[in-house]
Amino acid sequence: MKRTLRTATGVLALGALLALSACTADADSAGEKLKTLTIGTMTPARSMDPVDSGGGTIPYYQAVYDTLIKREPDGKLTPMLASEWNYDTAGTSLTLTIRDGVTFDDGTPVDAKAVKANLDRFRAAGAAENAQALSTKAVEVTGPKTVVITLNGPDPALLDSLSDAYGFIANPAKFGQDKPFATVPDGTGPYRLVADATMAGTVWKFERKEKYWGEQPPFASVTFYAFDNENAIVNGLKTNQIRAAVLQSVDQQIAATSGEQFTTSTQEIDLKLLNIFDRKGAKVPALGDARVRQAINYAIDRDVLVGQIQQGRGTATSQIWGTGTEGYASELDTYYSHDPAKAKALLAEAGYPDGFALTLPRLAALVPDSLAEALKSDLAAVGITLTWDDLDRVSFLTRTFREFQYPGVVMNGGQPAKDWATVSANILPKTIANPFGDTDATIQDLTGKIRTAEPAQAAQYAQQLNRHIVEQAWYVPLYRMQYLHVTVPTITAVPQAGLAVPALYNYQPAA
Amino acid sequence: MLGFVLRRTGAGLLLVLVISFVTFLLLSLPDNDVARSLLGPDAPAEIIDATNAALGVDRPVLVQYADWLSHAVRGDLGQSWFTSENVGTAIAGRLPVTLSLMLGVTLLTAIVAFGLGIWAGVRRGAADRFVQILAVAGYALPGFLVTLVIVLVFAVRLGWFPAIGYIPITDSVGGWLSTITLPIVALSIGAVAGTSQQVRSAVIEVLRQDYVRTLRSRGLSTRSILFKHVLRNASAPALTVLGMQFVGLLGGAVLVEQIFGLPGLGSMAVTYTTRGDIPVIMGLLMVTVVGVVLINLAVDVAIGVLNPKARRA
Repeated sequence: MKRTLRTATGVLALGALLALSACTADADSAGEKLKTLTIGTMTPARSMDPVDSGGGTIPYYQAVYDTLIKREPDGKLTPMLASEWNYDTAGTSLTLTIRDGVTFDDGTPVDAKAVKANLDRFRAAGAAENAQALSTKAVEVTGPKTVVITLNGPDPALLDSLSDAYGFIANPAKFGQDKPFATVPDGTGPYRLVADATMAGTVWKFERKEKYWGEQPPFASVTFYAFDNENAIVNGLKTNQIRAAVLQSVDQQIAATSGEQFTTSTQEIDLKLLNIFDRKGAKVPALGDARVRQAINYAIDRDVLVGQIQQGRGTATSQIWGTGTEGYASELDTYYSHDPAKAKALLAEAGYPDGFALTLPRLAALVPDSLAEALKSDLAAVGITLTWDDLDRVSFLTRTFREFQYPGVVMNGGQPAKDWATVSANILPKTIANPFGDTDATIQDLTGKIRTAEPAQAAQYAQQLNRHIVEQAWYVPLYRMQYLHVTVPTITAVPQAGLAVPALYNYQPAA
Repeated sequence: MLGFVLRRTGAGLLLVLVISFVTFLLLSLPDNDVARSLLGPDAPAEIIDATNAALGVDRPVLVQYADWLSHAVRGDLGQSWFTSENVGTAIAGRLPVTLSLMLGVTLLTAIVAFGLGIWAGVRRGAADRFVQILAVAGYALPGFLVTLVIVLVFAVRLGWFPAIGYIPITDSVGGWLSTITLPIVALSIGAVAGTSQQVRSAVIEVLRQDYVRTLRSRGLSTRSILFKHVLRNASAPALTVLGMQFVGLLGGAVLVEQIFGLPGLGSMAVTYTTRGDIPVIMGLLMVTVVGVVLINLAVDVAIGVLNPKARRA
C-alpha cells in the first residue's frame, strides 16, 4: 500500500512539473505569441544564399533580403530597392534607379555596383531559378545609383523576376568567400537570422532588426518549420505552435478545418497535368499525331478526378493558362469533356484503332495510387495501355528530366500570374515543359507578338496562343489543385498571385 | 576481458569499413544525378554538369570513396550537398534529439519492462496473464497508429503536451520534458512488450533452477533470492534484448520524429536520403554503425560483469 502511494505521489509530482512547465511557458509567451509568426511548410530552404532561392522558399529569403522590385499580393509591382525603372522603346534595355539611404549590415551602401555584382553573380552561379536571368545580355553601371540591364530581346517577365529570386540583393563584400551566405545571410531585409535557434533545412528563425530602412514589419520574430508531412503541420496548427501554413493534401485540409476555428482561404495555383514531351513521336510514334493527343484528352474523366480524388477541391481544366492571366479563357476549361467514343474515333482516324502502349514514370508523391489507377482505367477504356514505372525521387528526376527516357510525365505545373511567364515556362523551346524544342509557325508568330506588343494587344495574342496549344493538345491538363491557406485567428495571410505561398509581407496580425 | 574487448573492437572497425564501402557503392549508382535533384527539373543541362563537377560526383566511384574515407578518418565528414552545412556539425545538432529519445525509451522500457516481467514471472497466474495480454497488445498495435492516437489525445485534444517541436534540455528542463515525453511513450510501447516478455521468461526459467530451490530451503527471503540471485542470472538475456531494441529504436525514431516534427537523426535520414545527399547519408551511417558497435560492446561487457561465465564464451 505504501509503495502504491509512493508511486502515485511520484506520478502526480511529474505531472505537476510538466503542467507547471507548460503553464510557465504559456504565461511567458502569451503576449509574445501575438508578435511571433511561425510558418509550417513542406519546402525547406537549402541555404540563405539568394542563388538558392525560388518557388516556395522565397518567403525565407524575404526575411533577410530585399528585392529590387516588390510584388504586391495582386501581382502589382511597386518600388523596393529600386525606386524607379524604365524600359527603352524597344523593350530591350531596362534602367533601374537604386534607392538612397539603404545599407547592408556592415554599413556599406546599396548602390549600382552592388546591384550589378548581384545580378552578375546570379547568372554565373547556376542559380536554381537561372531561367529568370536568361534574357539578360549584360548589366552596366551608368551612375552611382543607376544600373542598365540590356536584354537579348524583350522579356515581359523580367520585372517579375526582379521581384523574385533574381532580384534579391546580398552584400557583395562576401562574394569572394566559399558559400558566403549558406548559413550567414547578409542583406538589407527587415529581419536577422538567429543562428542559435536555426537548423538548416529544418528550422530557420529570424528576429526583427531594430532599424530597417522601410516600414517595420509587424512581427517581432518569424520562424519557418520545414516538415516532410502535412500531418505534423496540422497538429502544430491545432496546438497553436504553427500559426500559418498552406495545405496541399485534401485529407489534411479536411483535418485542419474540421471543428477548428482557423482563418482560411483557398487558392487554385498549381495544375496537375500530363505533360507530353514526345510531340514528334520519337519514342511513341502515336504521340506525334495531334489526334492521338486529343484522344487522350477526351479519354480522361476530369470531373471524376476532381470529385473523387480531390473531393471537390479543385477545378477540371483543359488549359495550362492560369485564371489570373490575360490569356486565360474560361471556355477552354471544358474544351475536352469526357468522351470515350470520340477518343476512340480519333485514335482510329489516326491509324490506331486498337490503341497503343504508353509507359510513364511515377513518383508516388505526385501521382497517388488513386490518380494512377483512374488514369490507367480511363485510357484503357479507349484502348491505350498505360504502364507506370514507379521510381524514387532521384531516379524520377534523372530519368524524366535529364535522360528523357519517357514520352511524358504526370506532374504539378505552376500557373504564373503573367502570360509571358506562362509562355516562357511552357511553350518556348528547350524549357522544362518543352524539352525537345517543339514549335510551329503559329506558335512562333504568336510568341513573337506577345513579347513585343502593347499590353491590350498582347492579351489577345496570348488568348490565341492558349487556344492553339489546347487544340494541338500539347498537354493533357487535368485539374487546378486547390490549396488551403490556414492561419490562427490572430493572423491574416493574403494569397500571392502566381505563387503557391504568400510572400512574407502578406502576413499581418488580425485587426 | 581486455582481449575480448579488443577482439570485438577490431571486428567493429571492420564492420564499419565494409558497410561504408558497400553503402557508398550503392548510393553512387549511375541513376544518382545529384545536381538534378538539388537544382530541380528546370535547371539547364550545362549548369547541372557544372554542379556535378563541383561536387566531384563526375569522378570514378572508387576515387570518390577513397576521398571520402581519407577525410572521414580525420574526422571530416564533408559538407551537405543540399544545405552546405558541415555534416559533423549538422549531425551534432540533431544527435541530442535522437539520443534523448533513445535513452528515454531505454530507461522507461527498462523500468517498466523489468517491473512487469518480474511481477509476471514471480506471481504467475492472473498477473502473468495480464502482462502477457499487455505484451501482445503492445506488439500487435502498429507503431504509427499508436503514435498518431497519442498525439491526437494528449497534445491536440487535451493540450497537455506540445504536438510538435523540441526544446533542448539546456534551454529548459521542463520544456525538454514536455517535448520529449509523448515521443518516448509512443516509442516505448513496443519495446516494453518485447522486453517484459523476455524478462518474464528468464525469471521463470531461473526460478525453476535447483539452486533457487536450495536457497529457499535455507530460509532466504523471496526478495533476497529475487534481487541477489534470480535477477543477476535473468538479466543477461533481457539486457541483450534491451541492447538490440536500443539499436532498433533508430528505425522507430524515424517515424516518431516525423510525426512529432522533431529535428533528429531519424527525420534527417529520411529527408537527406530521398535527396541523394551522400555526405550526410554517409555521416549518419557512420554515427549509427559506430553507435551500434559500441552498444553491442557495452551490452557484452555488462553481461560479462554480471555473469563471469559469459566472458569465456
